[in-house]
Amino acid sequence: MSWAGWLLSIYFVGTAIKVVERNMASESTLAEQKASGQLVHRLCLLLVCLVWPLIWVGGLVTTYDAGMAVPDWPGTYGYNLFLYPYKTWLLGPFDLFIEHGHRLLGAVVGLVAISLVISAHFKESRRWVFVLTLGLLVAVITQGLLGGLRVVLGDRTLAMVHGCFGPAFFALCAATAVITSRRWNEYLGRQGVIRVGSGLVMLFAAIPALSYTQLVLGAQLRHVQPNASPGIFAMIVATHVIMAFLLWFLTAVAWLKIRRCGDLTLSRPAGLLIGLVAVQIALGVGTWVVNYGWPSILAWVPGSAGFLVRAKGFSDSIIVTSHVATGSLILAVSVVVWIRLLRVRHCCKGTIDPAATEREDADSSPKNEQKTNVSLLEPVIA
Amino acid sequence: MRIPSLIIVFCLFVGCDSRIETFEPNEVFSLALAKARSTSTDLASQDTSRVVEDLYGTPDEPRWPESPAAKKAVVDERNLFRASGPVSSEKDGTHVGLFREHCVTCHALEGSGAGPASVFQDPYPRDFRHGVFKWKSTERGKKPTHRDIRELLTKGIPGTAMPSFALLAPEDLDALVDYVVFLSTRGEVERRVTAAAIDELDYGDTAPIAELILSSQGDTEGGQVVQELVDRVHEDWAEAEQYEVAVPSFPELSGEQLVASVARGKEFFHGKVANCAGCHGPAGDGSLPTLDYDDWTKDYTTRIGLTPDDREAMKPFRKAGALRPRTIAPRTLRDGVFHGGGDSASLYRRITQGIAGTPMPAVEVVAEPNGKGLTTGQIWDLVRYVQQLSTSQ
Repeated sequence: MSWAGWLLSIYFVGTAIKVVERNMASESTLAEQKASGQLVHRLCLLLVCLVWPLIWVGGLVTTYDAGMAVPDWPGTYGYNLFLYPYKTWLLGPFDLFIEHGHRLLGAVVGLVAISLVISAHFKESRRWVFVLTLGLLVAVITQGLLGGLRVVLGDRTLAMVHGCFGPAFFALCAATAVITSRRWNEYLGRQGVIRVGSGLVMLFAAIPALSYTQLVLGAQLRHVQPNASPGIFAMIVATHVIMAFLLWFLTAVAWLKIRRCGDLTLSRPAGLLIGLVAVQIALGVGTWVVNYGWPSILAWVPGSAGFLVRAKGFSDSIIVTSHVATGSLILAVSVVVWIRLLRVRHCCKGTIDPAATEREDADSSPKNEQKTNVSLLEPVIA
Repeated sequence: MRIPSLIIVFCLFVGCDSRIETFEPNEVFSLALAKARSTSTDLASQDTSRVVEDLYGTPDEPRWPESPAAKKAVVDERNLFRASGPVSSEKDGTHVGLFREHCVTCHALEGSGAGPASVFQDPYPRDFRHGVFKWKSTERGKKPTHRDIRELLTKGIPGTAMPSFALLAPEDLDALVDYVVFLSTRGEVERRVTAAAIDELDYGDTAPIAELILSSQGDTEGGQVVQELVDRVHEDWAEAEQYEVAVPSFPELSGEQLVASVARGKEFFHGKVANCAGCHGPAGDGSLPTLDYDDWTKDYTTRIGLTPDDREAMKPFRKAGALRPRTIAPRTLRDGVFHGGGDSASLYRRITQGIAGTPMPAVEVVAEPNGKGLTTGQIWDLVRYVQQLSTSQ
């Protein structure tokens, strides 16, 4: 049923993408584009910096089954969220510490989102960006409601939906940070090294789509219902594993396509994605091992025959939670690359002459790449 | 208007957790019984479910029926409430719903060992409903003590998916132990009542006369049969401690004495009486091929005349929730990993009692060497050899 969460996330992200795409094209026709206010961009960055830890803490809440440590909502044991005695919170049980901490951090994210909307209203000249920030606020409220309903109803399915919606919100924050950055306008009228065709855009769109599907599948395994059938569980595990390697392959292909595009803001995160997915696969294996022991396919690993699973071990819970958090990071980075690529497609004035591209291809040293990039990153405003 | 309406549609679509109102009946056993007795077990199974629910309650509200035959309390009902139901926690950090938090993904709600993640485990998670446990300090055919189960939870089983719950609060462990005993008792009573309905109470394609209908009240013959079975199973659990296997003191040896003892142990390992090499292999590496199955698998295969490899014959059982039959392989004794503990006392018990539910046989303990069993001293020689094997790699 977390597919519903998936649909909700798609709705939000899809609407945001529509807004971005529609305005990306029209914006490229403008001769001048006022830069987004610095404050707006900084608030977006702050949001990104807060949401990732929020996902970590939320992941820990699930890992420790602490979601019901505070049975009421929106208050905490009858107190206003912000007025709950901090000594009881900090010195109380670990479950209470992380659950109340998760709520506090979530509330801070909500406040920053409100500030973002206000600052965008006054400082942001692009109306669609203001609408986007408004969308962020709606998303954070929805996420809070989902979390609250999960507690009030004591429902694990809603916990799964809450867990699936969080990464989508994080990716949306990252995308908004990109859109409000100064660099966003530097693409206008610039010449690119590669031609950004629809195929390339589709390839880069497939990465966030696949990584989000992976998040949903992972949530199904993490919040598995007690009466789920072994067959369904096995099918989800198999799909999750196969798609992980498919995703890794896609990130490699995508990076090969743009590694010499001359734009470090594209090639570097694309390269980073390969590493992140590799780390994520390793964390996925680790997550399985600390939950169910070494699978028979990896029985050759020294020490696996005598490996002892330890329930609720701290280092084990960090591995599991890292797997959750890295999944969100992959989603956010892939959305950032994709959004930038879309921007390049809509704003850059085609490619430079092929000979120059070939010369660059011949010279793959990072030093030279850096030089080339410096020149290409010079803003060329038409 | 779009977003609020979307949220309403979303909530309707998502719904909540699937409701867990009852324990699923043991359909695999019901099918096996139908095959073995060549009769329909549908009615018997249906009435058994009703009676067992009357007696033992539901996954969210378990009950422990009174049994005058059991001279001491087998479980603490407060522990059952802590371990059952959905996962939640109190202000002081106390967790409730412990079984669903820690065990259900592998052992399933009914303790059938066919939880969502069970297919990936080798060996499969234990099916508690047979009332048979491998790692215990009691005689082969007897129930484990609560202490045995608690020790297993604390130590875990290395090399398998069974975790160590050593980090859990002692009260949590007590609650889990009681809940495992509850599930095992409930499951065994369910099996016995279904079998008794067919064998003693004329259940078949049609229902028996009113007097013989299964009942949770002991005022009819059907009710008395149920009460007797409940008493028997509860009594078995209550008396488990009486059947603990006493382990004689283990003489610590060193130097030449130890070498000689290990050499003698090697002879017993390969000899006719213990014949460990017959299954574990001459090198003790468990490399010999095997075609045998554990008792949990035999229950719906070889014991009712079905071949586990026959996919067509297995289909209805798989559909009813049985896991794909797997042969049971003798353990390698060379990697230093003993699922039930590698200390001398555990190995002594394993040699003298075998392992319940598996083909591992027991060696008779005799007072004097007679070619039919081993004396205590000879068993200690064998234990030293096995321990030496495990450290030789």
